[in-house]
Amino acid sequence: MAQCVQSVQEFIQDSFVPMVAVLCSEDAEKVTRKNNLNFSELLRPFCRLTSEGHMRDPSNQLQVVKNLRISVNNVVTRPSVPSSGVPGHAHRRLLSEVVLTCQPAEGGVANVITAGDYDLNISDRSLKASVPWYSDWRDTLTELSTSKHYTATTPWFEAYRESFLQSMPASDHEFLNHYLACLLVVSSSEAVPVEKFLKLSQEQHRIQHSGEYTNPKWFIPNTLKYYVLLHDMSQGDEQRADSVYEDMKQRYGAQGCYLLKVNSRTAAAGADEQIPDPWSQYLHKSSLQTPVVVNNTAVENNVGGTSEVDGHDSEEKGSLDNTHPLQLDTPSDTPGSLDALRAVAVETKPPPLTTGVAAATSHGACLTLNDHDRIRLFIQEFTFRGLLPHIEKNIRQLNDQLVSRKGLSRSLFSATKKWFGGGKVPEKSIAELKNTSGLLYPPEAPELQIRKMADLCFLVQLYDLAYSCYHTAKKDFLSDQAMLYAAGALEMAAVSAFLQVGAPRPYPAHYMDTAIQTYRDVSKNMVLAERCALLSAEVLKSQAKYSDAATLLIKMTSEDSDLRSALLLEQAAHCFINMRNPMVRKFAFHMILAGHRFSKAGQKRHALRCYCQAMQVYKGKGWSLAEDHINFTIGRQSFTLRQPENAVTAFRHILTNDSQQTSTQQGAFLREYLYVYKNVTGACEVALPQLPLPCINSSATRVYFGHERRLAEGEKQAATHVSLDQEFDRDLAAMWQDLEEQVVAAAKRGVVPATFQSTQCCLNSQTDNLRFPLAVVEEPIIVEVVFRNPLKVPLVLSDLSLLWKFTLKDFNRPQTQEDSVGDAVPISNEKEASVPRVRVCVTFVSINFFCLIPLCLLPQARLKLLPHQTGQLNILGLVYNLGTSVRGRQDLEIQGPRLNQTKEEKTSVSHGPDRRLDPTITPPMPLLEVFFLQFPTALLCGEIRKAYVEFCNMSRVTLCGLRVASTHPDFFTFGSSSLATPLTPLSPTSFENCSAYKTLATPPGATPGSVAAVTLVSEGDFGSGTGLRGGVSGAGTGGKGITEIPLGEGTLKPGESTQLPMWLRGPDQEGVHEIHFLFYYESAEKGGKISHRVLRHTVFICASRSLSVRATACRSNTLPEEEEEERNGSMLVFVDVENINSSEAGVREFHIAQVSSSSKQWRLHKCINPAEDKDCKLTSRERGKLCFRATRCKPLQAEKYTFADLSLGNELIITSTTPCADFFFRRCQPLESLRPPVAMETQGRHSRSQGVGHGGGDKDIAGVVRKCNEVDLDIIILWKAFVVEDNKQVILEGQLHVALQTIDKEACSLTPKEEAQEMVLLKFKPELPPPMTRPSMEQLSHLIKTNLQYPESYSHPFNQKRYLCMVPVTLTLSNCSLAQVDVIIDLRHKTTSPESLEVHGSFTWLGQTQFKMQLGAQEVMRVQLRACFLHAGVYNLGTPRVFAKLADQGAMCETSQQTATPALIIIINST
Amino acid sequence: MAVCIAVIAKENYPLYIRSVPVQNELKFHYTVHTSLDVVEEKISAVGKAMADQRELYLGLLYPTEDYKVYPSHMIIVYYTPVCMFFILIENILLYRHTRYGYVTNSKVKFVIVADSSNTSLRDNEIRSMFRKLHNSFTDVMCNPFYNPGDTIQSKAFDSMVSAMMVQAS
Repeated sequence: MAQCVQSVQEFIQDSFVPMVAVLCSEDAEKVTRKNNLNFSELLRPFCRLTSEGHMRDPSNQLQVVKNLRISVNNVVTRPSVPSSGVPGHAHRRLLSEVVLTCQPAEGGVANVITAGDYDLNISDRSLKASVPWYSDWRDTLTELSTSKHYTATTPWFEAYRESFLQSMPASDHEFLNHYLACLLVVSSSEAVPVEKFLKLSQEQHRIQHSGEYTNPKWFIPNTLKYYVLLHDMSQGDEQRADSVYEDMKQRYGAQGCYLLKVNSRTAAAGADEQIPDPWSQYLHKSSLQTPVVVNNTAVENNVGGTSEVDGHDSEEKGSLDNTHPLQLDTPSDTPGSLDALRAVAVETKPPPLTTGVAAATSHGACLTLNDHDRIRLFIQEFTFRGLLPHIEKNIRQLNDQLVSRKGLSRSLFSATKKWFGGGKVPEKSIAELKNTSGLLYPPEAPELQIRKMADLCFLVQLYDLAYSCYHTAKKDFLSDQAMLYAAGALEMAAVSAFLQVGAPRPYPAHYMDTAIQTYRDVSKNMVLAERCALLSAEVLKSQAKYSDAATLLIKMTSEDSDLRSALLLEQAAHCFINMRNPMVRKFAFHMILAGHRFSKAGQKRHALRCYCQAMQVYKGKGWSLAEDHINFTIGRQSFTLRQPENAVTAFRHILTNDSQQTSTQQGAFLREYLYVYKNVTGACEVALPQLPLPCINSSATRVYFGHERRLAEGEKQAATHVSLDQEFDRDLAAMWQDLEEQVVAAAKRGVVPATFQSTQCCLNSQTDNLRFPLAVVEEPIIVEVVFRNPLKVPLVLSDLSLLWKFTLKDFNRPQTQEDSVGDAVPISNEKEASVPRVRVCVTFVSINFFCLIPLCLLPQARLKLLPHQTGQLNILGLVYNLGTSVRGRQDLEIQGPRLNQTKEEKTSVSHGPDRRLDPTITPPMPLLEVFFLQFPTALLCGEIRKAYVEFCNMSRVTLCGLRVASTHPDFFTFGSSSLATPLTPLSPTSFENCSAYKTLATPPGATPGSVAAVTLVSEGDFGSGTGLRGGVSGAGTGGKGITEIPLGEGTLKPGESTQLPMWLRGPDQEGVHEIHFLFYYESAEKGGKISHRVLRHTVFICASRSLSVRATACRSNTLPEEEEEERNGSMLVFVDVENINSSEAGVREFHIAQVSSSSKQWRLHKCINPAEDKDCKLTSRERGKLCFRATRCKPLQAEKYTFADLSLGNELIITSTTPCADFFFRRCQPLESLRPPVAMETQGRHSRSQGVGHGGGDKDIAGVVRKCNEVDLDIIILWKAFVVEDNKQVILEGQLHVALQTIDKEACSLTPKEEAQEMVLLKFKPELPPPMTRPSMEQLSHLIKTNLQYPESYSHPFNQKRYLCMVPVTLTLSNCSLAQVDVIIDLRHKTTSPESLEVHGSFTWLGQTQFKMQLGAQEVMRVQLRACFLHAGVYNLGTPRVFAKLADQGAMCETSQQTATPALIIIINST
Repeated sequence: MAVCIAVIAKENYPLYIRSVPVQNELKFHYTVHTSLDVVEEKISAVGKAMADQRELYLGLLYPTEDYKVYPSHMIIVYYTPVCMFFILIENILLYRHTRYGYVTNSKVKFVIVADSSNTSLRDNEIRSMFRKLHNSFTDVMCNPFYNPGDTIQSKAFDSMVSAMMVQAS
């Protein structure tokens, strides 16, 4: 709160002091003028009496008068304040000056008040500018600096209050500031001093009694005149002065005159002596106390002085002028009074040049300490000998009068009774009787005599008596409805009640309230109301009734005076914070109100202070609107007060916090900020300052190394690689890293080096940024900065560029000394002057214009750097112009990821480094560009297309070790390197309509599909070597899709480019496929910092359905002997081909051009298509069937694949060459890896049961049984599709693969669509091992192949008494398995199924009806049977049942073997 | 009806504040913020032991203080070399509004500022407004996606508040 230096009692006492007038002769004035003071000023510091005085009250009791102060003033006849009760302009202006000059000290001791959860720093501790009295001013100072119990002072308020009270105009309803006495001062140098005294005395009498002047007012008719002879020690004759004084004593009595000797030294001589200057503290305000000085010059001087001191500019002054129109401009206000003033106070003309500051330095130059003592003694003498007795006498007189007239005690009693008993008079009367407020008593009215006596008593500290008198007077006034008088009496009654020693009665606060209300509402006298409020508030505060005090103060704020309102609001705010439960928010709010009023009153400094203090409460509490408002005001006030740094800070707060202001408001904030900011930066040119806008999302910064890519160049299509336009995808990144690891492993012969680090071309917040990234010299570095515009208005940035620092380092020759010495100094572009030198190392490209539209999510700016030398680069930040011309920088500081490894890191918050912006520039590396020509985007499933790839080395370094890894190795091939002969024209231009395959024309005359052409191929020749080997050895992870690219000499020279053919095969699954390629290459010069580089490419291929091929293998029933080649068994292969193309692609029809097989064991032998249709055509949704016979290969070719080509058209495609075989082998790869799950399906239960430990026999059975059913035959269907494209028929080619694995099991070219992932039940117990199962009946039923041989028709003459017809039938049994099999043939068995009931009659088998035999591995045995028929007809011979079991499995029962198809025989009656 | 409705978190920052007319927003922010002192005073006036049984409705805040209303705008004239801005700053002086407070058991405060020229508002109506507000606030808190301590951005809450406010005419 506004703690005062004075106690309340002192304050009130000082507010009402006996007034003494001074009339001075010109000579005397001259004497004091030497000290730059007039007489009253000379006395002023000594007006407080340090010793106690004594006087007797009317009841003759001795009373002590302590600490009395008197006020000595020159006589001024001009009314200082218009009687209307509204302070005049001059008055206001002076108060304003007082407040303005009294500012809190800069950098005062921090004064922290803790209120609730707020810590308020109210650091306006400062010296009280006005020291109350001279003798104590040092003590006051020490007290100020040591005192603990005060919290915050508001010295400006006290200064204001003091000035205000002292400049109170004298009014008629009270006598407190009427003059009690008059000092008549005459110099001893006067020729006839006595005469002069006489003249002055007459002058005084004239002023008081002639009625010419209403001002000043005099207390009592016979004013005390005190005659002072002023003697100048340095000039006059002391003897003479003494004699004159003796004469005076004779004339006026010893108690009525005094000889005051001053000026003991000359101004020049006294320079060496240090004399304290008590006036300097006083005279600042002296102009107020003696309004005489208020003339035009003084005003000017004051204004000039303040503007000097505060450094205010003309703007400030102008605003002051606005709020307070200059008196100078309106001289017509009081012209008369000004003239009068000049006439009376001729002596007060100060030298026009003296400013306040200059005058203060020279006060009292001619006075020694002795003189000071003399003056003090004089005052004491005057007061105790002259003034107090005079007052005492008057009190007695008045008392006697009153007692005689009325009887004071009775009146007092009745009044009290009336007041407390039933009197509702005062309240009512205030409301009703406003019109009587003008009531005036004549000066000698008895009511006024009581008041006069009360005032006298009050002045000499007889508070008891004063109270009773005031009380009586109040009663009288109220009964007369003289409201103004009553209010005055109420006010003083309250004050004197408060001041009574020992406080016999409580402080009557309601008196004050009534008084204030009356003053304000009835008398319209704000000055008096204000005085009353000030007193009351002070008293209330001293009684800790802060809330009442605050209410009172707030009530007093009004529109008519901003300064007063401001000061009172501030005091109210301080009251709130001093309450027992501090009301911080109210404090803040009222501080804001006060600040507002201060600024209206032109008190910018105070306004700023208020807002700053309020800010402490609002800061960071989420009340953004209020916070913005305060910040804005602070910013603006700071700016006008020439504190641009503070202004910038304040404005920055508004702009950076997420502001909820409207866009127009924000626009205004921004303009203002930029304007202020420009002024600040204009002032200091040292370094570019930081700009707060726009916000940079530094963690989203991305750094890209390398050139910006052209995606297409003519019909060339460049590798996509990485670009800033791509979003980071964690899965993709992992995939690329995996690919890179594979390819590196392949390049390093299967081992990934320990130092392996995947190449990162684009760094962002999710990549691993722990290491310094490596950039290559002469390759650009692109930094993408993400901005956020927090405002709702657009921000315009221009001239953006990066700030960086560069340290030269030569990686090739680290040993040379001179290089490192010279270049160790980092070069930076922070200072723009050094640009030319900087250009040598790094050039940068700046963005000229960039507009951030509000609410645009993530506007990004891409900035490019091009390093020209090797070394270490650090990117520091951004430089840009904001708005029109404000240039500033913003640093890029990226916080690394939070560490969370060790316990310490987990418990504390620490962040790892992020070196995204610190690339190391390394020596040149090769740079590969890959272009694709005629690369399709859509393919039919299985379609083969030829495209070309062009590899370019863009750098100045030779490139080698080119490899490619892919996620879909079966999608493409570069052909096999072993077959070096170019199969198709190398240049893509002559490629038109040329088949991708190597073809041979079928020899004319040969039937298509009759005999297969057979080629033997070793696997190693194909499948691009490393890939397959890796696939075989590397257990799935290592380099399954790595292809070495056959460059001419294995290297690519700088600037060279090569074109290679590349075959593509449409993926088997329809849909869109994302296919990734990773090209790997190394520098021919080894040992660089970068071991290899990679280039990425991603293509999207849209595959549409073509053909669906289903194939089944069956055992043929033909006899083995028929052909030599089929000795080892033969199979029938049925191929179902369906056109499943939904013709949107314009595919007219498919031709099956050729069917080939590839296997180690089987080969297609010939086409046994029943139809003669030689070229199989399939239109949409058509289905065709092809039958083939397959035979076993010759056993010695075990490790080689046999390719058998059966052409159905007129040209033969050699499948054993590129690209057909390449794709064949490539598709094997995933199949191999697919096999384990397949195996699981078919025989998994078995293998599991082995693990549990059941006998090995089961395994054998399984193996044997499976083996017997296994076919390992791959069918390749080569087709041609006739497609209409742009009215042009195009022939597309393709191949499909079907892998036949098991006999009688249908295989499909389309791998079955992955069934929706079955929901796997969570199992918490290990599953019980499945019960051991045997090979299923179905599997076991394939052990033996049976075949019946008989004539198709048999003629027998039944009618020739040969009733029985015997037909020989041979049953051929061949063992399909590789184990011994026990076979039982049962002929007696009759089918029981109803459908096979013999309709045509039955036949019987003759001879042995059951055979038991054993068949060795793949053994063929024939059994001769005879069938006997009774009638002619058609018979089914397929009744023999064959049961088989593996020979060594005793426990197993025989399984019925599958019978052949019905064997029908026709018996014809030949007659 | 209400002219401003605010929900204040336990830590005394605004969770929700809405006022009509919108251009007086700042003024209402100040008003509500200042009311918190009285709210806190009222809470602390009830003893700790009684805190549980305390009635949530605090009644009229500032029952005794009546402030004057001041003319509404001040104009700051601001010169720059380029051009001259007239910036209108809302006079922050308040009043002619009555404020009512309500504190939940979790120390979340509701403040309703009503136009005191509207004399038809009875205590009962204010009470029911607070009850509605509290219920709606509870609904907001029950939203599993609401993070306690965040500002309230619920449409339901918004519409409920709008219903209680005077529509700016």
